[in-house]
Amino acid sequence: MRISAASTISHQDTFQHKGFSAALTGLKQGAQVLEPDYTKFIAPMELRRMSEVLKMAIVCAVDCLDQAELEQPDAIVVGTAIGCAVHTKNFMDKILASDGGLISPTSFILSTHNTIAGQISLRLKNHGYNMTHTQNSLSFEQALMDAMLCVKGGCKQVLAGAADELETSLYDIKARLHQEHAIPVCGASFFVLSAEAVVGSDINLVDVESLGLVTGLTEHIATFLSSNKLSAADIDLLLYSNSTQNTVDELTTIFGNGKLYDYQAISGTYLTNSAFALHFGIDALSYTSHPLFGENVRNVLICNNLIPENLGLILLNKTY
Amino acid sequence: MKVFVTGIGVVSAIGLDVEENLQSLKSSSTGISRDNNYGLMLGKVRLSNQQIIDLLELPSGIYSRTTLLALLAGKEAWGAHTHDKNIRTGLVSATSIGGMDQTEQYYHESKKNDAAQIIGEMTFDNGRTTEQLAAALNFSGYIGTISTACSSGANAIMQGARLLEGNKLDRVLVGGSDPLALFNIKGFGALNIYDQNICKPFDDARKGLNLGEGAGFLLLENEHSLSITGSKPLCLLTGWNNASDAYHQTASSPDGRGASLAMVNALAKANLVPEEISYINAHGTGTGNNDLSESMALKAVFGEKIPPFSSTKGFTGHTLAAAGAIEAVYCVLSIQAQALLPNLNFSNPMKETGMMPENRFRSGVPVVFVLSNSFGFGGNCTCLIFRKAQ
Repeated sequence: MRISAASTISHQDTFQHKGFSAALTGLKQGAQVLEPDYTKFIAPMELRRMSEVLKMAIVCAVDCLDQAELEQPDAIVVGTAIGCAVHTKNFMDKILASDGGLISPTSFILSTHNTIAGQISLRLKNHGYNMTHTQNSLSFEQALMDAMLCVKGGCKQVLAGAADELETSLYDIKARLHQEHAIPVCGASFFVLSAEAVVGSDINLVDVESLGLVTGLTEHIATFLSSNKLSAADIDLLLYSNSTQNTVDELTTIFGNGKLYDYQAISGTYLTNSAFALHFGIDALSYTSHPLFGENVRNVLICNNLIPENLGLILLNKTY
Repeated sequence: MKVFVTGIGVVSAIGLDVEENLQSLKSSSTGISRDNNYGLMLGKVRLSNQQIIDLLELPSGIYSRTTLLALLAGKEAWGAHTHDKNIRTGLVSATSIGGMDQTEQYYHESKKNDAAQIIGEMTFDNGRTTEQLAAALNFSGYIGTISTACSSGANAIMQGARLLEGNKLDRVLVGGSDPLALFNIKGFGALNIYDQNICKPFDDARKGLNLGEGAGFLLLENEHSLSITGSKPLCLLTGWNNASDAYHQTASSPDGRGASLAMVNALAKANLVPEEISYINAHGTGTGNNDLSESMALKAVFGEKIPPFSSTKGFTGHTLAAAGAIEAVYCVLSIQAQALLPNLNFSNPMKETGMMPENRFRSGVPVVFVLSNSFGFGGNCTCLIFRKAQ
């Protein structure tokens, strides 16, 4: 199925920046999220009440719909690992401070994981399918699989995305991932998947897999590629998350040295950063000749091994 | 493509397994009682965390109550099944607050003492609670968690059915689990929607909901899986749909648009006309807003011929992400027992609708198709339809 729009807000210059895959360099410690002028998309009164993750997600979603010239998607599917953790923490603080007295419900209301997908539906007055997947590092892959099932089930246009915020007091991502050098960040990416060919888009989401509690990276990648009638040699660009040296060694053995690119060095670390990788891959495929990856980049595989026992695979290609 | 329900498991305030839950439903015995700590009516599971750990003989470790309740019900639904490389098997669970019961203890402790840190890290993310269930049952592969507030459990069941229909899996354990935690008790308290006494779903004098805790799980199989496992179907899942109300973050629309859409689309999916539904297990939380909105939606879909319906939340309390899954198990029991389930504490129909729910366990009724509603924050509306096995 076609990917007819993509939008990302991150700690890098990604928003409405066509060609960013060639322009960005490794993320530096301390880099802040690059907020677009949100007032172009959301009224100032509403903005004041919104958490960072809601602003990012809603603006990416709206930007995607604009790109796809779409008023109403048939379904909205979101992946988020830790959900609205800032509101969750706020409400926990309010409980502690209240000493049994009255508490405002606002943070509680906005703390549920499906606040993001729900607020998008409210904003659009969209009555379609609305789903939220929250399986740590595989949340986005599961949202994409769901979106593909929606398209197979008859939806013409699906808005799918991922968003996670930076909240380390409830979820210390560096400790959980055992990655002391990681740069924890927030990020949101949204996409429009279309059942039919769309003018101006030649990039396809081919297949997605979500595998939890697995071992044997090589075998799982081989199975995934062969079920799509491909071999490792057909993959022109392999985007991976830098989980362990073992993973990198294994991927190098499978794909060779020249095809590997560490997306996490660009995106920073959050549990749904494979959504950043998908946008990166789409952007890379939009070049005829990419400054980093050369000519004839046709098949891109995203290998999300952020949590070593959880494996996400996303395959995309370009129609010639 | 058919989706067979071949296993069920449930733990709630009215019992630790399917049989105990069924007996309580038959005898109209509520599990809701006043909790002395909170001074609230709550539907608590009668075992402590340590008692569940001992009962299940779990290895030492940190478990959220979400995981422990899921393990009780998940193991019961999985039963004597084993893994087989020829059956692609997955797990889709649901929770609204994940390991919050542990996280909040850590968080409160860490305000006083930095050393308390690691506990919360291990249990905050929702997916972790599902992975602990998966690990205990030796699952690997598709392991997913849905979190759409109070419709989560129904959505996990629907997701499993869609993964079978989409030929991604052959067999899938689906359900949901939520514990009572300070976080959700205070949260719904802040919303000011508690009935200080026992809840009265669909009654004109209803004042609000009672919270509960628990877990429900179903095992779903396709025909390929059945041909290997030889499981005997308890019933089939034939209809499902999710739709958005798109009205308000927490309140349901006055006309129940999202709920109507979910029911109409689920009926279409099951290829049914409304008159074919034998029994409806309503969301029926007991709040003024939900029960009126749901009633209006039922009228919109079924007209003047509304099938027998009831809310079982007067037994269990509102178990949030577990509710849709626990109630799905009750729908299966309704089909198995050929009986309608009672709506407790009902006296007078609401003025706006005049609708009367079933008020006793009525057996000897042909129950062929059962419809179950679940609604959540964000206007998330889900409808499931179960069919008697032939």
